[in-house]
Amino acid sequence: MVSLYLYDGSFDGLLTAIFECFADRRQPQDIVSQDTYQASLLDELRPVTTDINKAERVIAGIDARSDGRGGELVYQLFLSEQPGIELRIYRLVHLLMRRNDPGILDNFADPDVLYCAQIQKMIRREVHRMHAFVRFQKATNDVFYAVISPDFNVIPLIGDHFQRRYADQSWVIFDSARYYGLFYDLNDLSFIDGDSDIFQQASSNPIGRAELEGQEDQYQTLWKQYFSSVTIQERRNIKLHLRHMPRRYWKYLVEKQVVDRKR
Amino acid sequence: MNRTLEKLTILSDAAKYDASCSSSGSKRANQNKGLGNSDGMGICHSYTEDGRCVSLLKILFTNHCIYDCAYCVSRRSNDVRRAAFTVEEVVDLTINFYRRNYIEGLFLSSGIFKDADYTMERLVRVAKTLRQQHNFNGYIHLKAIPGASPELLHEAGLYADRLSVNIEIPSEMSLKKVAPEKNYPDIIQPMNYLSDEKERYADEKKHLRKTPLFLPAGQSTQLIVGASPESDLQILHLADDLYKQQRLKRVYYSGYVPIATDNRVPDIKAPPLVRENRVYQADWLLRFYQFSVDEIVDEKHPNLDLEVDPKVSYALRNPEKFPVDINKADYEMILRVPGIGVKSAMKIVKSRLYQRLNLDHLQRMGVVVKRAKFFITCPGIQERHKDYETTHLRQLILAGDTAARLSPQLSLFG
Repeated sequence: MVSLYLYDGSFDGLLTAIFECFADRRQPQDIVSQDTYQASLLDELRPVTTDINKAERVIAGIDARSDGRGGELVYQLFLSEQPGIELRIYRLVHLLMRRNDPGILDNFADPDVLYCAQIQKMIRREVHRMHAFVRFQKATNDVFYAVISPDFNVIPLIGDHFQRRYADQSWVIFDSARYYGLFYDLNDLSFIDGDSDIFQQASSNPIGRAELEGQEDQYQTLWKQYFSSVTIQERRNIKLHLRHMPRRYWKYLVEKQVVDRKR
Repeated sequence: MNRTLEKLTILSDAAKYDASCSSSGSKRANQNKGLGNSDGMGICHSYTEDGRCVSLLKILFTNHCIYDCAYCVSRRSNDVRRAAFTVEEVVDLTINFYRRNYIEGLFLSSGIFKDADYTMERLVRVAKTLRQQHNFNGYIHLKAIPGASPELLHEAGLYADRLSVNIEIPSEMSLKKVAPEKNYPDIIQPMNYLSDEKERYADEKKHLRKTPLFLPAGQSTQLIVGASPESDLQILHLADDLYKQQRLKRVYYSGYVPIATDNRVPDIKAPPLVRENRVYQADWLLRFYQFSVDEIVDEKHPNLDLEVDPKVSYALRNPEKFPVDINKADYEMILRVPGIGVKSAMKIVKSRLYQRLNLDHLQRMGVVVKRAKFFITCPGIQERHKDYETTHLRQLILAGDTAARLSPQLSLFG
């Protein structure tokens, strides 16, 4: 029989499941989200009810044993959506609890630590890319809209940066693949889904892409022109260009859309 | 609009030969719910098709110029279209590009029209308008115009995150030849002035918390490589002095792009990109790898080896210092191993506290094993590497690089 911890797919749910593993004093065979679980007669199921208190105790325990680094790391790993990440997270928590030595997170010769560090690096790179590649378009309601479809679920990790930077403009960043996003209304930052009113308030927005604010097209044209005229032809190096800006990110980059020839 | 587009085309094209596009190292937070901040690491918002980072709106205020420097597209005697922005146009472009998350800020340079102060005053006015009328806290890099008055430089330092005076030609003798109207003192004096002022403000800050920011991201400069006969030894010594004496944050190197035939500069077919790359690698060794100039180039070898990078070159010239024992050597020595970078070196010294490291561990940590294997010892390393003669080793390394170039499968998925 296989002991399977079944959680609701939320981060708090996963932390609760890890709490229960420790409480049960057993190693889970796997921790699986209800959404992805495929029933099998051989499984011994252990459903978990999400409990915020238990989740917070787990985070407090990790942070106390890792100089405060572990909680953030575990959250980032969770957002990576990698298959089997739940068990990886459990093993990392187990390692931190067992060793009680923050330095263990720097032992890159340990395969679990190394794996987690590599995933974290990928997440951070994706966050950095979204800081770079978000392109706002100003709509008729003075809200700046942007659409992204990142490799990982980084929406919860990028709000702070944009709120600090664009404190005096209202904006929306929407993840079209996961169908949710962020909305900043000049005061507060909140999560929204694709059915939010904010997409109807503007007569157009990048998701509908009808007409935008009067000068929007002009600034896009200026930006495209700038982008093409700063290239030094004698130094063209498309391989390097692609390494920095892989094709899958192009669809939301103004400057990589074909220049309109009718001008 | 069409007029702005035309100006932008001319004045960004003329600005593109400035290699600097850095937007990091400043400390300006968003204040009073304004626009922007520049207190994090720099962000490259896009990349040109030559693979360079686009972080700032990099433009000239004007490409009219009273000077006739041979290496420069905007030189007086060159027949190019000329244009000049107004202060309002630059401000409007910066704000609107910034609001759309295209850029981290503005890099404003200029040809010299009328005189140094007249030009500098325009640049300062752009920065002042952005800061004071638009509460703009994004990154601003201004050119310090050689010969501008201390009053204007001081004001520039209060609004800009970084100022730069480009030296361009790495010796006074060559400068006289290709840019007869310029002189070294006019270039070095503003640097020294700004460096002293920055220090004065830093001192004041210790006693008065409300001391305003002054050039939080410091100064930089650019040297053109290959437009004049200086050796890499001369170039690197100049850079080293600039880091130490003028406390520059960065020296940029620009392989000379042949922009027109002018018999004062060499007529070359293509920019010396390999040499430029090697000089950058050497600069990195100075700043992050604790090398001194004399360990990289010397009177006997005044130029960098174009075939292998300067770290390999160092290792080949100092065989008695290798192989390095991964499990015992100091951090400083591990940092000197070709194929091991700053991050891998840190990982090695932290991880080896917990266990003895072998070749497999190094591979997984990101060490470039095909390069490092000739210069280290650890479990998993074949001992025979120790006995290689220097010339043989050099051939092996070059052969390895050629093999990698001939089988491009891996890079397709990179």
